[in-house]
Amino acid sequence: MPAPLEIINARKVFRTPEGGSLTALDGVSLKLATAEFVTLLGPSGCGKTTLLRTISGFETLDAGDILIDGTAVTQLPAHRRPVNTVFQRYALFNHMSVARNVGYALEIAGRDKREIRTRVGEMLELVGLTGLEKRTISQLSGGQQQRVALARALAGKPKLLLLDEPLSALDKNLRQKMQQELKALQRELGIGFVFVTHDQEEALTMSDRIAVLAHGQIQQIGAPSQLYQSPANLFTADFLGESNLLPVALDGQSARIGDGQGFAAARPAGAATLLLRPEALGLARPQGPALSFTGVIRETYYTGKDHQVALETPAFGTLHALLRSGSTPLDLGAELTLHAPADDLHLIDEVAP
Amino acid sequence: MTLARRKLLQLVGLLGAPTVFLLFFFLCPLLIMLVYSFLTPGLYGGVEWQFSHLNYGRILGWANTRYEKFDPVFLSIFLRSLRLAALTVVTSLLVSYPAAFWISRMSPGRRDFAIFLVTLPFFVSLIVRLFAWVLILRPTGVLNQGLMGIGLTSEPIEFLYSDFAVILGMTYVFIPFMFLPLYASIEKLDVAQLEASSDLGATRFQTFRKVVLPATMPGIIGGGIITFIPALGNFIVPSVLGGAKVLMIGNLIEQQFLSARNWPFGSALAMLVMTAVLVLLVVQLRLARREEAS
Repeated sequence: MPAPLEIINARKVFRTPEGGSLTALDGVSLKLATAEFVTLLGPSGCGKTTLLRTISGFETLDAGDILIDGTAVTQLPAHRRPVNTVFQRYALFNHMSVARNVGYALEIAGRDKREIRTRVGEMLELVGLTGLEKRTISQLSGGQQQRVALARALAGKPKLLLLDEPLSALDKNLRQKMQQELKALQRELGIGFVFVTHDQEEALTMSDRIAVLAHGQIQQIGAPSQLYQSPANLFTADFLGESNLLPVALDGQSARIGDGQGFAAARPAGAATLLLRPEALGLARPQGPALSFTGVIRETYYTGKDHQVALETPAFGTLHALLRSGSTPLDLGAELTLHAPADDLHLIDEVAP
Repeated sequence: MTLARRKLLQLVGLLGAPTVFLLFFFLCPLLIMLVYSFLTPGLYGGVEWQFSHLNYGRILGWANTRYEKFDPVFLSIFLRSLRLAALTVVTSLLVSYPAAFWISRMSPGRRDFAIFLVTLPFFVSLIVRLFAWVLILRPTGVLNQGLMGIGLTSEPIEFLYSDFAVILGMTYVFIPFMFLPLYASIEKLDVAQLEASSDLGATRFQTFRKVVLPATMPGIIGGGIITFIPALGNFIVPSVLGGAKVLMIGNLIEQQFLSARNWPFGSALAMLVMTAVLVLLVVQLRLARREEAS
């Protein structure tokens, strides 16, 4: 079975109004497995939206190929590609009813009225808007418009659904609800989803795999847990979640951080960076080898079940820790020692500038 | 004083002056015309206060007295005016629609400049501009000289004093009227909607028919109406570019008031134009209501 989407070495360069050039896609390759939910994650300007627009056909590639279901579509115009898009601000046709919006793809394809009506009914049921066929777009709430956009994009049975930051306009509660619904919907439909976002939390929650983009290149692609726990480079480590990045010196068998503490690391000698997630730091000293950091509490935030603590250490500057709320008082200015188990530490072969 | 009363007073205060102004300067003259159209013409101009329906009879067919006779020429001039005004609307739409599209896609600075250019003719006297067209269209004018120069014709073509010249002149005069409402609705067009349409499988033509045209319809109708109404009553363009051959209803009314000195008949003709305009506005209102309801 061919991959629902395959991108081979895509390149795209834009001319800027000032006469310079801007490389939006710099040799991007990506292959989707059947019914996979892949998120393109990155800061604005990283090329994620450009990549999505080249898949839908609104931008043409300077080099490279795009295959949908095994067929090259690189040269096809947008209206002849078997993909549909949920747009960032929905782009619903506000001079049409909900039903005509949802049935638009079928109307264009020249299907008969009864078939369109049935399909529109099914789609509205799928997104939980049954009975709103006759409404105009302006009579809908933001969340409902979102669902209509989704139903409209799915009505034509696309081989692949593209979503361009579709949840960014919703408030937090609704966004979380929609995240779960989208994921469930994708499983139910069994088609590939390519989802673009700059929200790392959203990416971690929904995706089968995340592709982190920066400077027009895929920095790393993998399952959310893999990206979070073992980022391949500093960019991914920094972009996904909070992180403490400490420079280390390697001598072949062990690694040493700035204040002289060491731990076992069977790696070639040289310099690297140690990733310490805030939740890896704790108050209790673990059994076995550990790294310890003593410093002064500069800031604390209470988040409900945890405390976020900023600890100022002499050797490493500010370290961020996420501590379980407990009996230990966390007073500003007080001295505190935190420990991290040293048996499963993640090293990045890159040195922070 | 209750809040509701205070609001009401504020409203009266705000709307009072314009209401009185409109009543006095717009409605009163119209009512005077309406009354005059049912009176008998005075021998040396003015009116005699005696009821007469023959002014309308002369236009519509029942007048058959010694002095007041039905003549189908009035109706045919009226129909010609309707036709020329409608054609003016069509041609100015055909020019303005692509222009508005083009301008709406320009960078903000160039866009403002382009809109300024569209409205520029307003700053020059209408008569001067129309005589410029006479210079262009006349047998020895620029257009004919050019056509003969490149050998497309050996004899000068009679452009002037024809339906063509009148439609051309009126289109030229009324393009800003058509352009501005059109531009307002085209500028609001959401580019993402056009992309959505093509994403859902529509060709450019289908997108135009199903998304662009309906979304800009308010601008087309608005521009059409404010072009049609002054075009229908216009008498300057046909008198300069149409001469005696292409008389429009506006010329006829002007003649009745200023040359023939038959004020009641002129008023009756003006009421005819007024009725046509009102019918048009009612139809438009109905259509707009129906669109809102659906």
